[in-house]
Parts: sequence; structure tokens; C-alpha cells
Amino acid sequence: MVQTKKQKYLFLAFCLVPTFIMFSIFTLYPLFSGLYFSFFEWSGTSQTREFVGFDNYIRLFNDEIIPDTVWHDYFLVATKVIGIMVMALFIAVALTQLKIKEAPFYRIVFFFPNIMSVVVIGILWMFIYNPNLGLVNSGLEMIGLEEWTRPWLGSETWALPSLVLPSIWAGIGLFMLLLMGGISNISKSYYEAAKIDGANEWQQFWKVTLPLIWPQIKISILYIVITTLNGSFIIVQVMTGGGPNNSTHVMGSYLYQQAFTQYNFGYGATIGVMILVLSLITVVLLQLLLRRDRVEY
Amino acid sequence: MNGLLKKQFGLVLMMMLLALLMYACAPDEAPVDDGGSSDEEESSDDEGSSDESSDGEISGELEIQYFVGGYGDSWWKEVISDFEEEYPDVNVTQHAGPTINEEMRSRWVSGDPPDVVYIDGAGSSETQMVEDDQLMNLTEWAEGIELEDGSKLVDSFIAEPSDYDGELYSLPLVFDAWGTWYDMNRFEENGYEVPQGFDSFMSTMGDIQENEDISPFVTTGQHPYYFSRGMLYPAFAAHGGNELLADIVQGAEGAWETDEAVEVMNNVEEMVDAGYVDSGLGALNHTQSQMNFLLGDNAFIPVGFWLPNEMEGDKPEDLQYGFIPSPMNPEGEPMAIVPDLRPLAIAEEAENPEAAKAFVEFVFTREYAELFSEHTGAIMNLEGVDLANNENVPEYLIQANEMINDPEQVEIFYKPHPMSADLETPISDSLVSLLLGNLTAEEFIQEAEEAAAEYREGN
Repeated sequence: MVQTKKQKYLFLAFCLVPTFIMFSIFTLYPLFSGLYFSFFEWSGTSQTREFVGFDNYIRLFNDEIIPDTVWHDYFLVATKVIGIMVMALFIAVALTQLKIKEAPFYRIVFFFPNIMSVVVIGILWMFIYNPNLGLVNSGLEMIGLEEWTRPWLGSETWALPSLVLPSIWAGIGLFMLLLMGGISNISKSYYEAAKIDGANEWQQFWKVTLPLIWPQIKISILYIVITTLNGSFIIVQVMTGGGPNNSTHVMGSYLYQQAFTQYNFGYGATIGVMILVLSLITVVLLQLLLRRDRVEY
Repeated sequence: MNGLLKKQFGLVLMMMLLALLMYACAPDEAPVDDGGSSDEEESSDDEGSSDESSDGEISGELEIQYFVGGYGDSWWKEVISDFEEEYPDVNVTQHAGPTINEEMRSRWVSGDPPDVVYIDGAGSSETQMVEDDQLMNLTEWAEGIELEDGSKLVDSFIAEPSDYDGELYSLPLVFDAWGTWYDMNRFEENGYEVPQGFDSFMSTMGDIQENEDISPFVTTGQHPYYFSRGMLYPAFAAHGGNELLADIVQGAEGAWETDEAVEVMNNVEEMVDAGYVDSGLGALNHTQSQMNFLLGDNAFIPVGFWLPNEMEGDKPEDLQYGFIPSPMNPEGEPMAIVPDLRPLAIAEEAENPEAAKAFVEFVFTREYAELFSEHTGAIMNLEGVDLANNENVPEYLIQANEMINDPEQVEIFYKPHPMSADLETPISDSLVSLLLGNLTAEEFIQEAEEAAAEYREGN
């Protein structure tokens, strides 16, 4: 049966229009209303709001906490990208190349944190970091490093670095699977050829594995960056609430504080616009930086 | 033909996007105040019609929003059920829970609020609601409310209602007094002296530290305003009276630099320097800090009356709650209490204001005040409630109640209204640094003054 053009476009519309409507309602509308509210002084709890033009944006540039939140966000981005990629790659290579018998078991173990809610992970790690009962301090005491113990999440210096570990721990599994998929798609013959040419395992990794799974690595890095810029808020909110003394506030948690604790919804929306702009710039820059020709052997 | 259809399809998509954009960017139906013009477009005088039946009886739907926290909801349920019995034509809808303030926010924003609101818990701010014109002005109406014995309600409060330029927008229902908790059994066993002022506070903390090798004092670093409300407010009140307290709360210029405020902050620094303040407090949340106290890791914690009720399931058997006003007062002078009031208010846009008023009037009786203490272990803001002879009221509350009513022991001070979140947040941030020993008292005062200046500028 030949499909008429009308049928074809009806089918196209059937596929696209509902998605487009959903996308418009849940993505475009909040995006534009966020932009709209950033020009108002509004508590977010009442009907009255006052148009203030660019006042919120001026305030954004004069707010001393904003540069700190941006720095904290990018600190988490950098440490998470490095930590997750190194660990995920290491584990993925180990589980696919080293012919470990228990590989399926390890795969499940490493993926496990991914099925847990970030809130649960945050609470779990709060116990691990607890100054009196926590695993970290007790462990340090046990191996005789008592002077290293400290209230990790309660210290203005150590709270932010302490958030990196749970974030990495929670993130490895997904990217490990992604990279394992990439590695198992590489034909064995490349490794055999490399071996015949005298390449050791390390050289095989750098010259064969890495170039061939570059697309997966690139996607992983982009994904980590985007989810960190948009989502690091959750772990901060659960574990430290941005404190002590703003030392762990990321842009998202500061937005939340301004909009919902300090009742400056308009200013919160302005911070949201800043997050959008910074995320876009970061992703575009990363696309440029990570651009590589596709390798085929 | 194919190209034409494609173009048309693209055009439709574009138009939909444009329509959405225009809708998104168009002002909502909410009145937009663009330059201070009046926004009082609806008066609250629409009462009477459908809400009052022909014989003047109160009827119709009544929506009540109340936060459920450490005090539970059993008292509310009993009162509301009694109210329904008294007013059978009124159908009460309850909106309650620990996150009810967030859940109901969209109703307030859309101009369809519940009729009665109990303002308490995270996500609610009486000051903000007054600033946003969301609460009904009760000044005149409240004058006429009488208690069971005919005495006027406004003359029977333990603590005065919040005052917004002489106007009354809420009636203080719960008298929450922040003070310092300790374990009476532990003190008795170890022979520690219960502090009566700052000097004895320091010496007791010294004894505890020496004897048990712990930091005696803990508070939550995630909500540093607990320290402000629990320790600093009473300290400012004891040193500088209501005047200093009002200046601090309202962000008056130079308030933090007065001799009295400087002395208080130096005292705090002294506590930190002596190692009496738990260095791990920065990470502790509300429950963790209270758990620390229950587990005996610390000996003093400044929180409100909710502590025993909220932590009932976790209390070690041998712990016996003791409550004192925070001992930040000069030794030998009366201790100070600054009540933190949790008010009941009526929405400016209440759909059934008559029933709302009837409910508020119904709640404020000495009978329900006594019942409140039985259910929650806290005090309702009414004078002359006999708790001493009620065996359902916990011991610490009877003692605290006696103390509060004895002017020789304890003096009650008042802040004009709660501190605005815009002022409290930056001060709290610096306060954590001070408590962690990363700021000196002098640096803290400077930062607090800067925060106050910024707050004044923004208002």
C-alpha cells in the first residue's frame, strides 16, 4: 500500500506535535517565564510584583556571594569530570580487558549508587562524615591519623572538597557502563595487531582504546558538566545547605535560598538566567575543545 | 508540493512557539505594581452574603492552613472537631503537614488563599506576608474579642502581638520561648551548677569540659539563626533592653556597635576561644544538633519548647529535661526571655472571613490553652492558665511557666516583629564563622553592620 503525502504528514504531525507541545509547556514556558520574572521584584508568595527593569541584574553583578558560587560550581565540575572519568575509564577497562571472572558482580556493585536517589546518597554521606560517629574520622583514628580528623562538612575550608567524593561515587556507574559499551564494540583484531607490532597494554590503551571510545568520552564529559551545573544543587542542599558561611553554595542552591528562603523570587530568577547563560557558554566551549576527528582503523 | 507542505508545517510550529512566547511574556492576571500605585483592588468586606445564613448563623466553607512540626497536630484536630460541633453549618477543610507552607504557596500567589493561617515553620514569614498585604488588618476587630471570663483578649496575652506601625495583622497563638536546655540528672550526678548568668555559665561549661572532655555547647550550624534567637536576642535584651533588641531586629544603624552589643559579642568570642562551643556544629542540622544533646555529646543546647515533644522517641531513659532562659545576662541580674511567637492570622482575601473570625475567636480560650500544653508540652500565649495543677503537663513546663511568671527571676522582653530574612541570612552566615572561630567578634560586628546597611538600602 502506498502512503499518500497527506498520510505521511499526518503521521509526522502525530509524532512531533505532542512532543513539541510537551516541550513547550515544560521547557520553553518555564524558561521564558523565568526570564520574565527576572525583571521584577517579587517575593514569590504574593500577587503583587513590581517591575524593576535591570535592577536584579545590577544586583547580581554587585553580589559578593555570586563569584564564590560560580567558582564552587566550576570546582565541582572540574573535580567531578576528572574523578568520574578517570575512575569510570579505569574500571571499564579493567572489567572488559582484564578478563576478571567476577566482572558482572563488580558491574552491579559500581552501578548501584546510580539507582539510589541523590537525597539518600547525601544523607548517607552525612553520616559517613559525621565528626563523632562517622566512618571517615573513625577510620583516620584507627590508622593513627588522629590529627587529620576534623568536622568535614562543618569546616569552611573542607566542606566543599568533601562534597566531591560522594558526587564522584554516585556518578561512576553510569559512565562506566557507557564506556564499557564503547570498549566492547572495538574489534579484538585491533588489539591483536597492536600486540604483534609490540605494543604493551599501556600503549594499547592510549593508541587503540582511547581514540576509539572518544565519542563516548566526549558525551560523558558534556553530560557530567551539564548535570553538575544544573544539579549539584541537590547534594549541596541536602548535605550542607550552602554553609558554613556560604562556603559550599553553588549557583543553584543560592538561587533556591534567594527565591524561597529570602523571598527574593525575582532575584532568584535572575540567578537562573545566569546559570542558563553560563551553562550554554560552557557547553559551546567544551564542544570546541573536545572536537576531534573521528578515528577509524 | 512536498516543499510547500513542509513549509506549512514549519510555519505552524513557528506560530505555536510564538504564541507560547507571547503568553509566557505577557503579564499574568495578577495586578502588577509598576511604580507604587495602589493595589488594594479588593476589599475584605464581601462577607455576609452566602457565608451567613438568614438568621445570622455562620456557615459555608472554611479553609485552615497549619504547619505541623515538633508540636504535632493532635491539638489542632481536637480544636477543629470541637469547632465543627459548635458550628455545624461550617465545613472545615484542613491543609496541614510539615511542608504545608510550600504546598499552599501557589494558592497564595494566585490570590486564592485559605481563610485562616497558622504561621510557623520553614517557608513561612509573617513579616513577608504583611509586606505583601496578604493578611487582614485585625486591629479593630481584635479589640472586641473576649475570653471565657469576659476579659479582653488583647489584654490577656503573655507576649504582645507583632506591631507593624501600630497595626495588628496576626494574633500570637503559641508562646515559644527559646532558652537553654540541659539534663537535670547529669547535672545532679556530677554536681554541676545550673547557670544563672554569663559568669556561672562559663564556669559550669569549664567544669563540664574538664570533667567529661567534651565541648559543652552545641547549636545547629545549618540554621545559625537558632543561635541568634536562642542566645543573642536574650543577651541583647538583658544588656540593652527592648530598645537594643528592636534596633538589632530592624537593622538600625550602629546597633551592633553599641557598647552593650559589643560586650555580648565579646562574650560569644570568649565561649568560642575557651573551646566550649562544639567545633563540628557547622555541619549539624536541626535534628543532628538535638541528637548530639540527647546522646550527651554536648550539655547545653538553645532551642524552643518543641525539643521534648519532637525527640520523644529518641530520649535516653535517664535524661531529664531542664530548661533555663539562656544565661547570657550579667550575673545577679534577672535572666531574659525573648518569646518567639507563632501567630494565627486571617487572609486578606479570605473567602469566608466571618467563619475565619469565628474560628480565631473560638481558639483563644484558657481551656484550649491548657489543652495545648497537654498536647504539645509548650505554652499558648495566654495569661492566667493554670498549669501547676494539671498532671498531664510535663514537669519542665510547669517549672518554666512559673519562672516566666516570676519577674524577680526572669524578665520578658519583646522584639517588635521577627527579623526579615534578608537581614537575618547574611548575619547568620557571619555568625557561623564567629562560632567556628574563623572571625573575631570585632570582624563579626563589622560584617553585621554592613549587612544591616545593605538591608536598609534595599528597603
